[in-house]
Amino acid sequence: MRIKSLVLASAFAMALGTVGIAAAQDTPPAITPVACEEPGELTMWVWDENWATIIGEAINEWTTDYCPGATVDLQVQPWANYWELLRTNVAGGDMPDVFNMSQTNVGFYQENEALLDLQPYLDAAGIDTAVWGSGMIDPYRSGEEGDLYALPVNWDTIAVYYNKDLFDAAGLEYPTAEWTWDDFAADAEALTDADAGVYGAAVYSEYQAGWPNWVAATGVEPVIASDHTTCTLTDEGSLEGLNFLKGLLDAGYMPTISDLGGSSADDAFNAWLAGRVAMVAGGSWKLPTALESADFNWEVVQLPRNPETGRSRSIVHSVGYVGAASTDTPDLAANLIIFLGSDAGQRYFAEAGGVAPAAPSQQQTWIDAFGTDEVNIQTFVDALQDSQGVTVFDEVWNIGNTELPVNIFDLGMSVEEATALGCEAVDTAVAGM
Amino acid sequence: MSTLLNIFGRTPRARRKAFWGLALIAPNTIGLLVFFGIPVLVAFGLSFFEWNGIRAPEFTGLDNFTRIFRDPLFGRALANTLTLALLVVPLNMALALGAAVLLNQRLPLRNLFRTIYFLPVVTSTVAASVVWIWIFQPRLGLIGIVPGLGTLQWLTRPELVLIPIAAVTIWQRVGFDMILFLAGLQNVPRALHEAAVIDGANSRQRFFNITLPMLSPTTFLILTLNFISVFQIFDQVYIMTQRTTPGGVSGSATTLTFLLYQTGFTRSEFGYASAIALALFVIVLSITVIQLRLQRRWVFYESEAG
Amino acid sequence: MAAQAINAKEQDSAAPFDHISIGIKVVSYAILIVGAFFMILPFLWMASTACKPNAELAVSPIRFFPENPSCLEVAGQLYEQSPNFNRYLLNSFIVTVARTVGQLITCSLAAYGFARYKFPGRSALFAISLGLLIVPFQAILIPEFILIKSLGLRNTFGAIIIPGVFSAFALFLLRQAFMQIPIELEEAAEIDGANPLQILWRITLPLSIPAIAAFAVITIQAAWNDFLFPLVVANTTDTRVVTIGIALLQGQRDTPYNLIMMGSLIATLPMLALFVMLQRYFIEGVAQSGLRR
Repeated sequence: MRIKSLVLASAFAMALGTVGIAAAQDTPPAITPVACEEPGELTMWVWDENWATIIGEAINEWTTDYCPGATVDLQVQPWANYWELLRTNVAGGDMPDVFNMSQTNVGFYQENEALLDLQPYLDAAGIDTAVWGSGMIDPYRSGEEGDLYALPVNWDTIAVYYNKDLFDAAGLEYPTAEWTWDDFAADAEALTDADAGVYGAAVYSEYQAGWPNWVAATGVEPVIASDHTTCTLTDEGSLEGLNFLKGLLDAGYMPTISDLGGSSADDAFNAWLAGRVAMVAGGSWKLPTALESADFNWEVVQLPRNPETGRSRSIVHSVGYVGAASTDTPDLAANLIIFLGSDAGQRYFAEAGGVAPAAPSQQQTWIDAFGTDEVNIQTFVDALQDSQGVTVFDEVWNIGNTELPVNIFDLGMSVEEATALGCEAVDTAVAGM
Repeated sequence: MSTLLNIFGRTPRARRKAFWGLALIAPNTIGLLVFFGIPVLVAFGLSFFEWNGIRAPEFTGLDNFTRIFRDPLFGRALANTLTLALLVVPLNMALALGAAVLLNQRLPLRNLFRTIYFLPVVTSTVAASVVWIWIFQPRLGLIGIVPGLGTLQWLTRPELVLIPIAAVTIWQRVGFDMILFLAGLQNVPRALHEAAVIDGANSRQRFFNITLPMLSPTTFLILTLNFISVFQIFDQVYIMTQRTTPGGVSGSATTLTFLLYQTGFTRSEFGYASAIALALFVIVLSITVIQLRLQRRWVFYESEAG
Repeated sequence: MAAQAINAKEQDSAAPFDHISIGIKVVSYAILIVGAFFMILPFLWMASTACKPNAELAVSPIRFFPENPSCLEVAGQLYEQSPNFNRYLLNSFIVTVARTVGQLITCSLAAYGFARYKFPGRSALFAISLGLLIVPFQAILIPEFILIKSLGLRNTFGAIIIPGVFSAFALFLLRQAFMQIPIELEEAAEIDGANPLQILWRITLPLSIPAIAAFAVITIQAAWNDFLFPLVVANTTDTRVVTIGIALLQGQRDTPYNLIMMGSLIATLPMLALFVMLQRYFIEGVAQSGLRR
């Protein structure tokens, strides 16, 4: 009896879950901005000129419809120097009121209480933070209550880009979202053509687009746990994921970093664009490049599922808007941030068609903005459902992003040795903080 | 009053000259003291504090300095920097002098060659990084034309990575020093060469007995600047390792300046970064002082010999 | 004219390697050409990438020449994405000229003072100036930023220019050059009643033209290529220099190499033209030969 009721209960829960998803797909939850109480002056930093143009348009709507009389000095800083510049300005006592933040960098500012707590403002505006997926916002939560300190601007997930022409030539069926690691390995083998210099796959490069996705599929948080202290590189799941990839490399189905010409995900992606690699793990941010530059037929599919857990998991990263704790006008800063994160503010990003907007209601607009029926862009939205938020941060970034893959996929170190070395480096970095 | 004035010289003429001297140096010296001296003092003070840029600085006495001796990364960065100095300074100076001497002759296409040798000074570092990474890329890179070198992982092997970095450093630096040598060569009086030719000296004898001694003030200047700049190597490390692993696998390409920058601007340990800067300063200062002492033995100033 | 011809001949006969054999000449050329190949390669890469259409950027292994050269299209794209690019070039020009002229004045005065005058504290002050050359710039960035802010210079041209007119490097360079000039010439002028400024202007500076040309090339290119400091103290649309303009072309996710290289090429050409113009002064000892022993 008890078993039966348990089964019934879980079936009921599943039905509810399905309904929940269906409802979400029919009418995505709305995020509605509110009018400001008192206009004033704000300075705001962004790190991308294209975004600055888009955000500039959004701000115009805010100053016209929601906060007449307010002015925003929108400054664009070079991405490559953004974080050093921010730390310089913070140390010099000159923090912008509102600025862009990433999940890998937010920890430092949260720990030092330098950010404005947005939770009270969200509560007052009646915005339920559940509208955003947990992978997008969890890294931006802090404190005992899990207050939210950043509103997501946009997100990106990872999928497998594959060359349909090479699949056809090898007589293979195209993969589906249900495919497993075993299917992936079999395809990689069949697609490899050593004489023609074609490799089956290149999927390990860097943190976000690379090997951590495979570790996440085993249920392990890659590199470091979300407590920001425990190294997970030597966990069983990490070893399983890395050994799977190392096996493909040793079998000759994947190129080494030296063969690719570099350890960046761009190097792998360029090899795919050049037809030298049949399948590559790539971010949603690569869609415009692929649409413009690939001179073969291609498609995207979700990462293959781990055979034991049955999970396909993508690393998700979301850029956020934050306010400075030191701002003279916290109410105004929070009001602007909420507007920029709302459906009204996000519409500008969705229509521009570059990065995917965080507001759920805007995602179809974003997909449509690419104007293609050839590629199933919805794949990247689907990848959000079971996604892994970023747990690494500046001090340990290189360890997982470059050092570990270089050791394993270029210098021929064993997974066990490289992960042990990696954990040593993580422990040193954590102890030094 | 007169004793006070005596500080400036015993005779009215000496005093007048002293006042002129002070007046001449005043603008630059005051400017340097205000815009560089004050920040240096602040940075010096900071090295006794722990400060992350947000919270109030906390006085920690000499902790930052004792930490230097315990920090394995500092030791590695110091060793890397010294290795780079040994790889770069002699070779770079020889090449720059060679290029300057060759291009000081009335050779056809001389101006073209000089312009080409100056190109690295103005070429964008992004372009340079792409090309140099390609040159050292295993299997596909240009270095493969030398048998045996093409299969090495130049940029990821910890024991090799300093060689490409030294190569890029020399590449960026040699045109700059060539200019200084060329300017210096103009100060070698023609009459000395003419007299030597009459005495039957061949070109090699004239190079070693006339050109090199007369060039010694310039050589001294370049040597000093070379040491200072080699201890401030930063861009080259950034260029060559940012796409594989910034600072090299296990810190194998991390120089002192790179460590200082990382400590300060990516880890926000501004106190410790200042202590590293102070250590770096003391090291370079010692080398410079030694050079200043030694210059009396080999540097020949025409006006003093006059 | 005649005098020039004679001088040129004189210089020919005085060049250190005038009677060298054909063999050595061939070797010299071989070395120069191999060196030149490596020197020019990245520059050619910059120029060729600047002319690549977007579709040709992501080619691996790298392709040295574009199949469809599209320099003008890329330049058009650059100005579309960065409409103020010419303004940034103008800003760089303003900053560079002001810093170079300023440094020439302050540093030649100081170099002359240190080279030729005895005064109390001379060694100490010179040592302190030199010591500042040794300080890694990264170490003083934050105090410098605070100083600029508290002087009210933040986000003005003054923030870049004013600290930029003082230089320990130029002081060292010019002092070395001045010390190589025979002192008798200056003493003779002093006896004739010239004051120090007149001597510096009429005798010392004209005799130091090769060093000043080297100073100019080095200082101008350093000011033109300066990036980190202007970025920290004056990165607004009105004061933004061209190096920052180029850096802004790179986004978080995409690096449009062709636009970046086109921007770099446009920014580099004035520096190259300047070098071609100034380089003849490195060898122009001709006019001064009469003054030399």
